[in-house]
Amino acid sequence: MIKNDLESKCLFLRKKILEVCLKAETGHVTSSLSCVEILVTLYYKGYLNINSKDLEDDERDRFILSKAQASPLLYLILADLGLYDMKELDHFAQKNGMFGVHLQHSVPGVETTAGALGHGLGLAAGIALRAKMDRKLYMTYTLLGDGELYEGSIWESMMFASHNNLNNLVGIIDRNYLCTTDFTENLVELEPLTEKVQSFGWNVVRIDGHNLHAIDNALKNLRARPSRKPTMLICDTVKGKGLDVMSFKPLCHGVPPKGEDAKKAKKQFYL
Amino acid sequence: MITQRDSFWNEIYQQAKTDRDIIIVSADMGAPSLDKFRTDFPAQFVNTGIAEQNAILVASGLAKEGKKVFVYAIASFLTLNCIEKIRVQNGMMNIPINIVGIGAGFSYPDSGPTHHLSEDIAIMRSIPNITTISVTDHHMSKKLAQSYKDFDHTHYIRLERQPIGELYKTCEAVNLDKGLHEIIEGQDHLIISNGNLLFKCKEILREKSLNFGLCDIFRYPLNINELEKVVKKYKKITTIEETFLPGGLGSSILEALSDLGIQMEVNRIGLDTKKGYCYQYGGREEIHKYYGIDKDSLISKLST
Repeated sequence: MIKNDLESKCLFLRKKILEVCLKAETGHVTSSLSCVEILVTLYYKGYLNINSKDLEDDERDRFILSKAQASPLLYLILADLGLYDMKELDHFAQKNGMFGVHLQHSVPGVETTAGALGHGLGLAAGIALRAKMDRKLYMTYTLLGDGELYEGSIWESMMFASHNNLNNLVGIIDRNYLCTTDFTENLVELEPLTEKVQSFGWNVVRIDGHNLHAIDNALKNLRARPSRKPTMLICDTVKGKGLDVMSFKPLCHGVPPKGEDAKKAKKQFYL
Repeated sequence: MITQRDSFWNEIYQQAKTDRDIIIVSADMGAPSLDKFRTDFPAQFVNTGIAEQNAILVASGLAKEGKKVFVYAIASFLTLNCIEKIRVQNGMMNIPINIVGIGAGFSYPDSGPTHHLSEDIAIMRSIPNITTISVTDHHMSKKLAQSYKDFDHTHYIRLERQPIGELYKTCEAVNLDKGLHEIIEGQDHLIISNGNLLFKCKEILREKSLNFGLCDIFRYPLNINELEKVVKKYKKITTIEETFLPGGLGSSILEALSDLGIQMEVNRIGLDTKKGYCYQYGGREEIHKYYGIDKDSLISKLST
């Protein structure tokens, strides 16, 4: 798929995220918009090899969406890849729908039930460790939110993964600088984040998380295990990327725009 | 007498000789029986350091991919520090691991209340897809270690730290599916207990020649069909537990009797939350005195 197609895919998914959440009157619009380019690169550039005919194929790459509030995006991608009908998204978080606001492992292509933060990295470390034990070649990727980094278990898992040389594990931090009530640096400073993660023994690559080319470059050689250590991509992003009414604003977590803001949002996304 | 712990790990060692999928995840918890495992099967031993939450997560990741995982630490930390991890990974996702916790009840009598295991039953038994086994003796712990291949969901195995007695003569005498065992058949009055206090009750009944029944209930959720068979022979029940009363053994019996539609007198003896946490030292019996579950207090309560 050429780059222009990926950009088109990002635009398509952004529109669908807004559309789905507006219809459901719930869902984490901003948390999904910040990681569109990351997931598009993983799923459409061949980094996540999944076998759509056998979703339990032991050779498949694993993706653990630890920041499960981005579920609308993942659910849309898995539908787009043909694992179920896109029409299922019409019932997002509705009665008799197949999914809710957070993540559930009963959905085809979804590895875990999630919603409580601080779980994904440790679980992914266990999955990656098993690959080492059994000489399996699959990669394990996990996407963390930056707000999730306040959970202590993340740092337990970070130490563990580097100590065990889990170079088949790739952590990706969606560094969108916003929690629910305020910017991260006003809550409790996360920076200097690169140095913190490095000091836990990880290779760290810090990039613009909305630059498809940069994400692609950062992921490109990791399957070849260029280092003994696991790699963390810190992706600087904008929470609510593309949606002016919800970008750079606290208190926009977990809700779709309403009233005039909804009209502006729809106009901006050509809905 | 061998400890429940060593009996358990010795058997896991034997199983691991032919099952390379057995993995022990330890949160910096050791035992002589584990040293042998670690030496002979280093690739099957994972140490997370004192990071119980990560230990549960790593164990769950390994088990999700088919490993047969035993995660080991002091029981109060492994349950109470990790409850949300257990709830999501093992309750909601039903990833089967074996949570092996050492230190049932007041197994660490000199360590203070941080190490006392007094709320875990209430909490763990409220989570779906988890079976809790409060281990009675070393035959039962060995039986559990032999049975791991049959477990399709998470088991929480709570072990005593020191040998407390031998109840079952062999592993075969332990029926995990039944989940209970009427040790003594008596008249009118049935005592229900488990773990350390079960042995104390047995001693009291013998010494005082009390013709009461005595039942070891070691598994949650309770097997209420088997419970019904036992309780219907009696007129009155006393439950005796080494945990706080809300949600504990006695509470579970009241729930079961209600579900069975059985009305009978039930007295619950255990840790009163009004007494709070105990900072008494000098042995388990001293702590039992604080909560009124020492031998003399139990004799007095059972004789009235």
